[in-house]
Amino acid sequence: MLEIKNKVAVVTGGASGLGLAIAQGLVKEGASVVVLDLDRNKLDLLPDEIEKYCIDITNYELVQQTVDSIVSKFSKIDILVNNAGVIYSESFINIMNPSCMKHSYDRFKKNLDINLNSVFIMSSIIAEKMVINRTQGVIINMSSISAQGNAGQTAYSAAKAAVEAMTKTWSKELGVFGIRSVAIAPGFINTESTNHALNEKTIKHIKSNTPLKRLGETLNIFQSVKYIVENDFVNGAVLQVDGGLTI
Amino acid sequence: MNDKVKEVLAEVFDMKSSEITVGLTKDDIDTWDSLRQMDLVTSLEKEFDIRLEMMEIVSLDSVAKTVEILKSKGVDVGD
Ligand SMILES: NC(=O)c1ccc[n+]([C@@H]2O[C@H](COP(=O)([O-])OP(=O)(O)OC[C@H]3O[C@@H](n4cnc5c(N)ncnc54)[C@H](O)[C@@H]3O)[C@@H](O)[C@H]2O)c1
Repeated sequence: MLEIKNKVAVVTGGASGLGLAIAQGLVKEGASVVVLDLDRNKLDLLPDEIEKYCIDITNYELVQQTVDSIVSKFSKIDILVNNAGVIYSESFINIMNPSCMKHSYDRFKKNLDINLNSVFIMSSIIAEKMVINRTQGVIINMSSISAQGNAGQTAYSAAKAAVEAMTKTWSKELGVFGIRSVAIAPGFINTESTNHALNEKTIKHIKSNTPLKRLGETLNIFQSVKYIVENDFVNGAVLQVDGGLTI
Repeated sequence: MNDKVKEVLAEVFDMKSSEITVGLTKDDIDTWDSLRQMDLVTSLEKEFDIRLEMMEIVSLDSVAKTVEILKSKGVDVGD
């Protein structure tokens, strides 16, 4: 079993929601935690023991500079949690909007930028450090049950499915270095973003379709991260944390 | 509006038949989004054996408008 204590963890999007719970949980377990997030106001609310960088993780050069400075400060990165993402819905064909029924291509590309390309950028830059330093680290990617295809979420579903494919690819490719790659596919978790994206009626409907009859809590996602880090034979898996919704 | 029309709308919007009244617009129905609009169109076409034109599809924005379009297609929608 691997101990979280004394590990160095980078959590993207750690200023709110699931990322915040993960960052706080890792700190409690004794890790040194670095959060990368766009939202300066929310970053300012994080406790002092968390190292914070206000950056857009879709910017390759900025991520490279930031990772370089994290490694020069902490000398290694053991855990990368690619959590930042934006839940996004848009119909592929919207018959209620006759002037433009098609899904915007610009918004499709923009969404892939944050939900997919950022995961590539973060992981390639940090995996290189892990390989050079011979750190037997772990890359944890936040997917979603939408990776299986969700009506009204072309861009988001495509991005998350690709994130799962990258997770499996890296698990095979980086395994020889002892670097693991695992994804978590949460169902509906009780976060601000869920409550913002869905109305009350939809949330009620989701709960009634979930065998456990409730939404998940952010702690459930941190518990998955802890399990993945500690169990060093878990590699290439996609952990469904959805109360049984997708069974 | 007869029971059949109410049942189709209720099924599409996840509501009870008794909740469907002629005064409702899409703004009153939380579940009436662009995905349900497709559902609405295909359900109406199937149940009443009609074909909706694009202009009719985009103008479906209330129960009253739905009833009016069905009527114009010769569907018996009741009183
Ligand atoms: N909440 C859920 O129920 C749920 C379900 C399935 C999957 N997820 C996934 O979990 C992850 C976190 O979701 P959440 O609900 O906590 O969202 P959230 O909006 O609360 O948090 C996301 C964080 O990412 C940051 N961020 C966004 N774009 C960024 C960028 N370009 N650079 C740096 N930071 C950026 C935001 O500022 C925010 O703090 C996402 O990947 C989401 O797709 C969430």
